[in-house]
Amino acid sequence: MDLLRRLLLGLTLSIAVLCAEGGAAGAEGRMTREYDMKAIFLFQFADFVNWPASTCPDTLTPITIGVLGNDPFGAGLDEVVAGETVGARKLVVRRFRTVEQVDSCHVLFICASEAGRLEHIHAKLMGRSVLTVGETKDFAARYGIVGFDVQRNRLKLRINVAAADSAKLTISSKLLRQAELVASKG
Amino acid sequence: MRTPRTTIRRKLILAIMLTSTTALALAGTALTIHEVTSLRALLARELATRAAILAANSTAALAFQNPEDASQVLAGLRTDPSIVAAALYDARGGVFATYPMGASAPLVPAAAGAMGNRLERASLLVSRPVMEGNRRLGSLFLRSDLRALDERVRAQVMAILVAVLGSMGVALALSAWLQGGIAQPVRILAETAKAVLDRKDYSVRARAVSDDELGVLAEGFNDMLAEIQRRDAELEQRVADRTAALEASNKELEAFSYSVSHDLRAPLRAIDGFSKALLEDCGDKLDQVGTKHLDRVRTATRQMGQLIDDLLNLARISRAELRRERFDLGAVGKEIAAELKRAQPEREGVQFVIAEGMTVVADTQLLRVVLDNLLRNAWKFTAKHPTARIELGQHRDNGHRVFFVTDDGAGFDMAHANLLFAPFQRLHRQSDFEGTGVGLATVQRIIHRHGGQLWADGAVERGASFSFTLSEVKS
Repeated sequence: MDLLRRLLLGLTLSIAVLCAEGGAAGAEGRMTREYDMKAIFLFQFADFVNWPASTCPDTLTPITIGVLGNDPFGAGLDEVVAGETVGARKLVVRRFRTVEQVDSCHVLFICASEAGRLEHIHAKLMGRSVLTVGETKDFAARYGIVGFDVQRNRLKLRINVAAADSAKLTISSKLLRQAELVASKG
Repeated sequence: MRTPRTTIRRKLILAIMLTSTTALALAGTALTIHEVTSLRALLARELATRAAILAANSTAALAFQNPEDASQVLAGLRTDPSIVAAALYDARGGVFATYPMGASAPLVPAAAGAMGNRLERASLLVSRPVMEGNRRLGSLFLRSDLRALDERVRAQVMAILVAVLGSMGVALALSAWLQGGIAQPVRILAETAKAVLDRKDYSVRARAVSDDELGVLAEGFNDMLAEIQRRDAELEQRVADRTAALEASNKELEAFSYSVSHDLRAPLRAIDGFSKALLEDCGDKLDQVGTKHLDRVRTATRQMGQLIDDLLNLARISRAELRRERFDLGAVGKEIAAELKRAQPEREGVQFVIAEGMTVVADTQLLRVVLDNLLRNAWKFTAKHPTARIELGQHRDNGHRVFFVTDDGAGFDMAHANLLFAPFQRLHRQSDFEGTGVGLATVQRIIHRHGGQLWADGAVERGASFSFTLSEVKS
């Protein structure tokens, strides 16, 4: 039963992917949907991660979602975050060109454009309580805490708990249940 | 003494059982209602708790679009068979995960509905939002089968029923045991009263078995019996004393009257003898007036002689021993009738009717005195009528033989009937009818000595009827 259901699901998705790859417009649409999903995820992290009190001097300090590099979200991320709060805190989106610009930030999405500077960024943010999120392969294991991984049209999570610990971040076990846990490499 | 229709024992048991059963039934009903309500409330609370835990555990799965994890969370419901279906809906209301996997309408709604609890036939439906912090991520739906609740209610009611029945059994046993303390002494008392009444035995005593009011009652009852017994003995003693005294004085009186009567005879004989001698020897010297006076003296003397004879008779009759033998009362009556006719042959108008077959067992001499008196009375009191009918007969009344002497003579006034049998009491003047007034008293004494009764009926100038019975003695 379970096997049959998976086969059917797989078949349906394959057809969907084939249709989607049928043209450039289709490809663009698919990309947009993928980043909409990623934007939602970035926003949801705020509910399942606890930052140390030092990063939030008072209860009204907004939670900052930063985007480092070439922003792939367009207006999508701003739309997701608009008007939302976590407790009394507002959510704000800030965009950074370089890692040196990153001052106050809770969640930092490192765009694909920064793939060559990951080592540097990792070093720069070492010891700071920033939930780094990347979308390159092995990001969680080597350069940050959370990695996005698109598998079969679905967005998967990889989390490096040791990295989160050294950043003094507490990730809810409920969130960890949704992710593949990875250990640090090199 | 009548036997009671119901017993105190039964009444007591009934009262105790009625009270305890009512109390138990009310308590049982209240308990059942309470159980059902609290079970429903408990189920609702349990469901709410379960839904809250499920919702809390499903937030991340909804937030990070992980239906597999959501299905796993819902699969945890397997441990509770009363929850038959569940579903998670995403923020837009679409089905996100179901339990059991692949469940669809009508088991779970195709889209999230209104929040809250809802009863649907045998199911309790719970819908609640899934929140992380103050953000709503979706909603949860649970369907609980109330049949499981009914099962629990039935089990509870059964338990209560068993408890009530058990309590009734215990109450019955207890009441049977407790009623003994009241019913037993009462029963003993009632039995004692019945024994006293049935056997007229006042020496019976009630057994004292309790030290409460019933004990006091039994004691009082016993005291009353003792008092009755004491009085009985006293009365008997008094009667015996009085009887003895009476008998003694009676004997004295009889002896006195006998000797007086006897001693009166000698002077009377002298008066009679000398007045007779005076008439015979000196009759020629007396004029007509003197002779007439002497005749009056002799008549009075004769009367007095008769009176003395009657009195002696009466005394003799009282003392003489009864010598019962079988004889025909009619034969004796006929002899007396013949005697009367011989003495006054001029009364041809008197007709005697004497029945046949009046055989009795009695003292012949005394019964002759009875008939002589009654027939002589009838003869005497019909003297002023030219014709008369005198009857001696018998009839049966209530199985007893009643003998009677009836005439159609002067009769008497029933108002004075009570004086008839008293000695020296007469209803007629001596000038009208001669007599001493001792006759009927004698008759009554003889009849009483035979254990019989004597009574009279009559009316003035309509005749008189004397009836008597004799105690039947088998010879």
